Amino acid sequence: MAKQINVALIGNPNTGKTSVFNHLTGLNQQVGNYPGITVEKKEGICKLDRGVKAHILDLPGTYSLNASSLDENVVIELLLNKNDKDYPDVAVVISDVENLKRNLLLFTQIKDLGIPTILAINMADRMERKAISLDIPKMEERLKTRIALISSRKNTGIDVLKELITEYRSINTEPCINASIIAPAYFDRLRKAFPKQDLYKLWLVITQDVNFGKLERNEMKTISSFKTESDSNLKRLQQKETIVRYKYINEVLKETQTIDVANAKDLRTRLDRILTHKVWGYVIFFAILLLIFQVIYDWSQYPMDAIDTAFASMSEWVQTNLPEGKLTDLLAEGIIAGLGGIVIFIPQIAFLFLFISVLEESGYMSRVVFLMDRVMRRFGLSGKSVVPLISGTACAIPAVMATRNIESWKERLITILVTPFTTCSARLPVYLIIISLVIPDEKFLFFNLQALTLMLMYLIGFGAAIGSAWILNKILKIKSKSFFVVEMPNYKMPLLKNVGINVLEKTKSFVVDAGKIILAISIVLWVLASFGPNEKFNQAEDIVTTQLEAEGGINTFPDAEAYQAEIDKLVASQKLEHSYIGYMGKAIEPIVEPLGYDWKIGIALITSFAAREVFVGTLATIYSVGDAEEETIKNRMAGEVNPVLGTPRFNFASGISLLLFYAFAMQCMSTLAIVKRETNTWKWPMIQLVAMTAIAYVAALAAFQILK
Amino acid sequence: MELLQNIIVILIFLVALGYLITKFVWTPAFLKKKDDDGCGTGGCGC
Repeated sequence: MAKQINVALIGNPNTGKTSVFNHLTGLNQQVGNYPGITVEKKEGICKLDRGVKAHILDLPGTYSLNASSLDENVVIELLLNKNDKDYPDVAVVISDVENLKRNLLLFTQIKDLGIPTILAINMADRMERKAISLDIPKMEERLKTRIALISSRKNTGIDVLKELITEYRSINTEPCINASIIAPAYFDRLRKAFPKQDLYKLWLVITQDVNFGKLERNEMKTISSFKTESDSNLKRLQQKETIVRYKYINEVLKETQTIDVANAKDLRTRLDRILTHKVWGYVIFFAILLLIFQVIYDWSQYPMDAIDTAFASMSEWVQTNLPEGKLTDLLAEGIIAGLGGIVIFIPQIAFLFLFISVLEESGYMSRVVFLMDRVMRRFGLSGKSVVPLISGTACAIPAVMATRNIESWKERLITILVTPFTTCSARLPVYLIIISLVIPDEKFLFFNLQALTLMLMYLIGFGAAIGSAWILNKILKIKSKSFFVVEMPNYKMPLLKNVGINVLEKTKSFVVDAGKIILAISIVLWVLASFGPNEKFNQAEDIVTTQLEAEGGINTFPDAEAYQAEIDKLVASQKLEHSYIGYMGKAIEPIVEPLGYDWKIGIALITSFAAREVFVGTLATIYSVGDAEEETIKNRMAGEVNPVLGTPRFNFASGISLLLFYAFAMQCMSTLAIVKRETNTWKWPMIQLVAMTAIAYVAALAAFQILK
Repeated sequence: MELLQNIIVILIFLVALGYLITKFVWTPAFLKKKDDDGCGTGGCGC
């Protein structure tokens, strides 16, 4: 039987752990050139030589073993608990060749726990350009370990790393630092109380406020007696430990590393000066955003039109070629129409993720985080809140999870509560269809008005997020410490493979996962719209014919064809109005009417509470029921008329009202569930739901009443 | 033929309704995943 060993990949944020993990396991975890990508343990299997199998754990990035955030706790809890099934046989500390000094702090801490520890120095391909040279044998001797010089970008050195993992038993487990030099008297007492225990491990158990639930109770009782030291004294000792370690690291690097600054071809400093400038930094950021939205519109137009037409033709083909009956109607009017409402947005979503991935991969996103910290502080958030807020443009769920690397609970809670305001990809279909209906396709200066409106929607979402954060910061009476440390990675040419994987995964997740919900809702809606509870539905044709006969019958029409067309139209309308969904919609119409919506839009608002993108699919299904002509979704919506005013249902006033409703409303059940999980109570998601819905209703009401 | 079409429509409707209920309202114990995070990247359900 093959032997299996546990291998933990540990390292500072943004050292390329996830890339190394992907190389070792052959999996495709998302990678990005900004910190905080890994917030939970990821695992995979790597086959090594001699029939050894390695169970690889990719742990969240951490700067040290002095935990200050939830994701750092995950690392410490695992390393201090030998009973954990994932406790590593060998730890691989991934470090960045350009930030060795800071990275080695974590390495020395892990090595001192007595775990066989390999140092993997990543990004070796940049050494020449940065004029860095390392004396690896000397460094191995000084750090008492084995070192692999690797490049996850160029896929070099991975074989050496695998070999070192296989030979992990031969790695020296002597500590780098003698822990007792931190505070001799204190550690002397510890040694006497626990003669058989590792001193440094005990020290971490005493100083870290993490969950050691699986440690033996008796052990914990004795350990807690050592917590009698005041918190400030323990902090002082922690600082002393850090100083001792850096002193040791400085000595090692002095002997083993040389950096010839004069020969470094460094563009980074010059670029940083411009991109993080207090004026130009923001100008460039907004210019990039504007460019992205402009390009999304220009590039997506043709594939979107093609998809829309293809679905309309497909519907028509089904209706014409399949035998008449309810199943054919369901296929043509329910399933195909509903699916068309989601597939049509693939081009725009793919382009959006393409640009976001390029910005992440290039290293620019970290500059944005740094830049925005200045703004965020004023609103009770930290620069780290930018990562969730930007991730929120894809989906609020991973964004809420990404708040785990925010140390301050108050800042974290505020970020969780405001992140759903960010324009997620699910809002995009709603915005795109409404904008195309109510905003003219004209140029303003050099920019398309529709693209400008879309960008404005993103800014409204972001503005709502930081505005709410400011209010929450004033209201919430939670005291917690706050500081900001962010990794500034080097600029890199984005790797086509990573960008491709990211775009593919995000788009697939959007289409497949959302598609299932939309398909199911489309089927249910079609059935509810195609059957009715009483005679007004079942006898629709008789009622309409009698009504037309009373008004003069066929004589009032130019020919029999026009007469029949009018009958068909009125029958479809009569049936829809008296179907099950018609009655449900009418029941909620009084609530949505002041916002400029009819009962059909009201139904779409309710169904899209499951997921916002269901909105377009719902309307596409409702409008296509009984419609003899197979039209595109956009044409169907454009053709809807307000029977009272005789104006298009989707006009400027109702369109803006809808845009604002979706900008602010908490229309996502999954987000509520994840907020509950992250805050461990229903209190916050319920507050979020009520507050966001109230803001959305008031904003939509005000917009419609002013603009109508 | 029409009867058969009606039966298939009803079956499809019941499957769709069942899927939505188990997804958003209530999941029977035998359908629960071991680590139920919802679907999508990071359990995002989208």
